[in-house]
Amino acid sequence: MKPSTLNESPAWSIIRAVVGALIVLPAVVSAPAAMSGDFNRLLGAVVRIDVREVTFEAGARRFVAGVGSGVILSPDGLVLTNAHVASPHAVEISITLPSLERVGARLLGWDHWTDLALIRLDLDEVKRRGLAFQHAAFGDSDALYVGETVYAVGTPYGLTRTVTRGIISNNRRYFEDSGGVRGYETGAFNTWLQTDAAINPGNSGGPLVTEDGRVVGINARGYVGADNLGFAIPANVARRIVDGLLAHGSITRSYIGLVPGTLQDLEHFYALALNTGMLINSVELGSPAARAGLHGGDILLAINGQKVDGRFPEQLPPIQNLIASLPVGSVVRLSLRRGGQAMEIPVVTEKLESRMGEEWAFDKWGLSVRKVSRAFARENQLDDDTGVIVLGVQSGFPAAVAGIAAGDIITKVNRQALADLETLKRIYQEFEAKPDSLLVEALRDRRVSLYVLKP
Amino acid sequence: MNQLFPVIQGHVAKLVRVWLLVAACALLPLRAADLSDLFAERIKSCVTVEFLIENELDRQPVAVPGVCVDANGTIILPASAINARVSIRRLKDFKVYRPNSATAYRAEYLGQDALTGWHFVRAEEKLHPELVPLTAWARPGTPPVRLADEVWSIGLRGKDEDFHPYFLMSRVGLIEPMPQPTAIAASEIGGPGLPVFNRDGALVGLTLNSFGQNFLLFSRQERGQPVVLVNVEESSVFLLADEVLSYLGRIPENAAGRPLPWLGAFGLEPVDPEVARFLKLENQSALVVSEVLEGSPAEKAGLKGHDIIVALEDKPLPRLKPDQVVATYVEREVERRRPGDDLTLTVLRDNQRLDLKVTLGDEPKILREADRRYFERLGLTVREFLYGDGIAHRVKRAEQAGVIVDFVKANSPAAMGGLEPDDWVREIDGREIKTYAEAVAALAAIEADKDRSEFVLLTSRGGETAVRRVKLK
Repeated sequence: MKPSTLNESPAWSIIRAVVGALIVLPAVVSAPAAMSGDFNRLLGAVVRIDVREVTFEAGARRFVAGVGSGVILSPDGLVLTNAHVASPHAVEISITLPSLERVGARLLGWDHWTDLALIRLDLDEVKRRGLAFQHAAFGDSDALYVGETVYAVGTPYGLTRTVTRGIISNNRRYFEDSGGVRGYETGAFNTWLQTDAAINPGNSGGPLVTEDGRVVGINARGYVGADNLGFAIPANVARRIVDGLLAHGSITRSYIGLVPGTLQDLEHFYALALNTGMLINSVELGSPAARAGLHGGDILLAINGQKVDGRFPEQLPPIQNLIASLPVGSVVRLSLRRGGQAMEIPVVTEKLESRMGEEWAFDKWGLSVRKVSRAFARENQLDDDTGVIVLGVQSGFPAAVAGIAAGDIITKVNRQALADLETLKRIYQEFEAKPDSLLVEALRDRRVSLYVLKP
Repeated sequence: MNQLFPVIQGHVAKLVRVWLLVAACALLPLRAADLSDLFAERIKSCVTVEFLIENELDRQPVAVPGVCVDANGTIILPASAINARVSIRRLKDFKVYRPNSATAYRAEYLGQDALTGWHFVRAEEKLHPELVPLTAWARPGTPPVRLADEVWSIGLRGKDEDFHPYFLMSRVGLIEPMPQPTAIAASEIGGPGLPVFNRDGALVGLTLNSFGQNFLLFSRQERGQPVVLVNVEESSVFLLADEVLSYLGRIPENAAGRPLPWLGAFGLEPVDPEVARFLKLENQSALVVSEVLEGSPAEKAGLKGHDIIVALEDKPLPRLKPDQVVATYVEREVERRRPGDDLTLTVLRDNQRLDLKVTLGDEPKILREADRRYFERLGLTVREFLYGDGIAHRVKRAEQAGVIVDFVKANSPAAMGGLEPDDWVREIDGREIKTYAEAVAALAAIEADKDRSEFVLLTSRGGETAVRRVKLK
């Protein structure tokens, strides 16, 4: 089981309304929260984020709304939140400042791998309306100790400016989720902070702070239904991502295609000294590592001469990150052990891509699709990344009438291979201008079928 | 003479008609008794065949109705009687029971015929005189059944009721090529795999497996949940007699039913009428070839993936309903031939029509023929890597090696080590495994070594490899 992301969906709003109306919890009297000036300043920097975004699920373009949290990082209105709160799917972002004033914002960039997104307040509007806000500062997440008191600040279930308190339960939690941020991969390159400060849907993107009001993490996930098992991205990871997003709008990582495994309990079998090397469990088909001749069962000893130790799961993200941080297209020297043999293999890195391709809806066909990505093609053992995956069809519309169904991979239209989404958009435009029957070729479970899309 | 002849003919015809009418009137009160007599005779062609499937941990008893087809005690069972994944070597202890009898007669499994799918079984000699072959009820010249004809067959109860036979009757509701001439009665007429008769007791067909029927399920929780129900005891579908009789001689030469004619085209997907029209194929069907298998006769003949088969031996593919049936049509055209026979395919490729002459091959080893070995202490069965595994794992023949996990015992060391059926084992203890024999030797050595505390496998699943450590202590 993996912890779920915690932005608030409309369904939650309804539950909240019902629960809110029924239950009034008595106030628990306890020691006063840290009321330092710094902590107050932090409270003045935490915002509520309302996002309206487009989805392409049921064969059409639809809009859904969600609520999350965020923290203002600078006087010029940079707001840090989760990638699963503010993504490129967002069509409208509005921010509720601690003063309860609402102001518009736009996405600067996102990084689903670390579940972080950077948005900017509409400064013209802020100026025009004379709105004021505070900004927060990062603390050192590496200095956190287990048991240290932390506070989560955010908008759980839409309850703005909610502060909950807990401790750091674990400062190096490992989990990877191949579809954790709305189908996008997350968690491969960082460990997480675990806290028992109550984190609920709507807390997503809000800060986890120490008593002095320093941001040590960005709250992102939790086990729904469990008692206070919440997770945050460490501030030291966030700091790096913020710099990258600010400079380039996205984070570029290198990829070679290793799927790591832990060496725990296998050291004896591989005749390795303890705390040496990382097991390569699998090598992704067609990846640079596969082309260089690596395969499952190899032991990675060093990357460019830097020794690696992947005995436990918690040690894998830093190793993955080491590879990801290399320049794209550069040669990386991998020191390996295969059986009794030591070897050094050079591998040329590629740009890391998500398995989630661009999504689009063709309204007149009643068809919504996602581009087949290289990663998706590899995962599904397709010949190449030609084609689009059908996300949904609207019943009674041409695609559904022709027999096309969700999950099909459309590879050709009128015998033209769909190398990219633009090709299909162009065909659609021609169809709109002059509707005519189209011959569609699609794959379903490796089987090739033909369909006719009729106007 | 020339003038008189028609008169005489007409006169004779009238006489015959009158005689028939008299005879029919005389017989009318006896009809019910007739049917019960016919029933009593015809159940002598019907049997229940019981056998065991010997799995790693259990023995699974199977009982299916069958019908005797010749004087040598040969019995045919429907294709569905035995799962295609089950190894022939695991089929044990075949027995034959007559209706209304608890006496078991020994029998042997002869094999499965590729074209009809029928399994052939032969009963011990002692039973032969008691059985009446199906052919005894065939009346040459009997017209094929027509819509609304009354037809009847036999149902057989279970072992606890001594396979008690019972009578079922209905009328023909639909006749359709699927692709074999098939009739569907208005309601169930008999157990699957049993003979069907007309009012006069002449053989008109053999029941097939029942088709699914749509129902709505109402319960306290569900309000009108759609469900598909399949009656496994009785069927309303039957293959017409001429079709049945022409295949009775196809007794397999061996248990695997070899030789098995092989084309090597995977995923033959029918085009619907809209697509056919778009491709300018009027009043016919076509099949898209999804993949052409490596080293197959189809590949050698130059067939390619995405080719569209439009004709066999210059005969356009017929339009059959539902669309899917045309794929079965082509499969049957292959299966009715023998390895070495030629088959000419006409395909559309890039708007061009091509004729390709395929010389059919003998199909590579199939699942039911594969060698398997169970390792009790490890808790797993491995089987040899087959041609079909190469397709499933998408590996070229040159790269095919190792073995496939066929079974994993729950909570066994293999299960705790994360192994699953269909995993492809490529290395054992760091050593590459080339052949089945190598794998069996390595695993047998591990199993025999009582001091062994663990072993390590490199496996592949869905294109991803993983190192799996199996702890024995």
